[in-house]
Amino acid sequence: MKNLRDKYCLVGVGETEYSRGSNRTTRALAVEAVRAAILDAGLTASDVDGMLDYQSGDSTLANHVAPDLGIRLNFYMDVMGGGSSTEALIGLAMGAIEAGMCNTLAIYRSMNGYSEFRIGGTGARAAQPVRGLDLAQVPFGMRSAGQNFAPTFLRHMYEYGTTSEQVAHVKVAHSKHASQNPKALLKDRVTVQDVVGSRWIVKPLHLLDCCLETDNATCLIVTTAERARDCRQRPVSIMGVAGRVSKPRLDFHWAHGPITRVAGYYAKDIVFGQAGIGPEDVDVTGSYDAFTFTTMLQLEEYGFCKKGEGGQYVSSGVIELGGRRPNNTAGGHLCEGYTHGMSMVIENVRQLRGTVDDYCPKAAEGVHTYDYAPGRCRQVKDAEIAMNLGWAMPPLGSALIMRR
Amino acid sequence: MPQPVQYRGMSLIAHARAHRLVVRKCAACGLLRYPPTHACPWCMELRFTWQELSGRGTIYSYEIVHHAIQPGFKELTPYPVVLVELDEQRGRPTPDESLRIIANLLTPDLRPEAEEKVAIGTRVRVVFQDLADHMALPQFTLTDEPPQGRVWRLP
Repeated sequence: MKNLRDKYCLVGVGETEYSRGSNRTTRALAVEAVRAAILDAGLTASDVDGMLDYQSGDSTLANHVAPDLGIRLNFYMDVMGGGSSTEALIGLAMGAIEAGMCNTLAIYRSMNGYSEFRIGGTGARAAQPVRGLDLAQVPFGMRSAGQNFAPTFLRHMYEYGTTSEQVAHVKVAHSKHASQNPKALLKDRVTVQDVVGSRWIVKPLHLLDCCLETDNATCLIVTTAERARDCRQRPVSIMGVAGRVSKPRLDFHWAHGPITRVAGYYAKDIVFGQAGIGPEDVDVTGSYDAFTFTTMLQLEEYGFCKKGEGGQYVSSGVIELGGRRPNNTAGGHLCEGYTHGMSMVIENVRQLRGTVDDYCPKAAEGVHTYDYAPGRCRQVKDAEIAMNLGWAMPPLGSALIMRR
Repeated sequence: MPQPVQYRGMSLIAHARAHRLVVRKCAACGLLRYPPTHACPWCMELRFTWQELSGRGTIYSYEIVHHAIQPGFKELTPYPVVLVELDEQRGRPTPDESLRIIANLLTPDLRPEAEEKVAIGTRVRVVFQDLADHMALPQFTLTDEPPQGRVWRLP
């Protein structure tokens, strides 16, 4: 496969407030996030000529957002999809520039995921008709993401002896990280006992194994390495990307086992192959945490530990700030807020710049204390390489490797 | 209760109304597939026939829904959703593949089975739940057959 390692960069990131009641349209949210990312990059509206976004019938379109900001587009595309779209669209942005269609792209996701179209399947989404392959699951009371994924998680417990207590450490770690993040919806640290003592949603998932439906918009700016040198921020180079890699029988993946295998099994060779590195070279990960289990399943599938040992890996302290390879240092979807993957890439860009927005007084200048006590620092010292593991569902995922 | 749109793929539901569990069988390579998709995923053949199955299988994985999303399911909680590996075509055409089907595990009188009776490895058979004149669902119930492989349930 063709390799574009280090030829493209992420130069701007931006987001709105994370809330559970934005009282604004997704168009208003998107405009604010795109504007913030452009300003973060030190660019103006006339520097951006491409736009990509993703949604699932719940958001605004690029041809509304761009003109609101005075952006004239040479290329745009509105894409259907949820989690794992972020990394895939970064790859498509590189392709659009490589094809000569445009120079600099904004990628956004805007959602009122709590107050309007609830991701869990209630609210406006509950009125969707049941047809086609939905008939194989929805009439049996299997509709939400948690309900769709739970048999995969349970089978992992059966095959490998993974425990609820082990995966609860994902929430514990991410809550620790969120306590250092002024933006996070849930800033309180929790214990393993808090997680396994919370009420059942769909066994084996407790309430605190599940992420937070959230209202927000997020944006990333992609351009060439040459243009990145003129931007305001230290550029973050894209080393490798794998987009929407799927397992066989994507729609009804139960037919092709082992069902504990997730899409990373197929994506890892693509993304590590492009980057020319291995898991041991990665300093920070952003393994999608729609649920505690998804973080664990992806980390083991991408080779951060042996297959089946994900439970031990996530409960060993490795994924916490201060550990060897922290995961979702902003608190992730479990604690910061749910953004369909964008916030985890934004956080890793900030980590590589050395300017995460924690409580350190001079954080914006890159001065950090590396004191990981509550309400202090969440910058990883000398983070050079970061990796995002995007999840849509067990048979579908994307991945991204970046370096400073 | 969901009212399905009627088109050819809906034959599965129509067959269920006649209390028959059917899947599509490729007219070229003869492999069975579920759900009733529109080409053979192994040879791309479009032509198919409907094949009736024994309705016997083993629980491969499951979940217990405590927080129902759909209003009609709230009064049924906690209810089990099971992934059943059917006896036909186990481990074919590759060792990782099998006919697996999502359904509820019900008591013989079609109520949600008690959680402490649900386990991976337990043997089940199909039963049919009539919902309306035009619609029935293939569901599963426990049998007294010995389990297959290691029996395990969430501690």
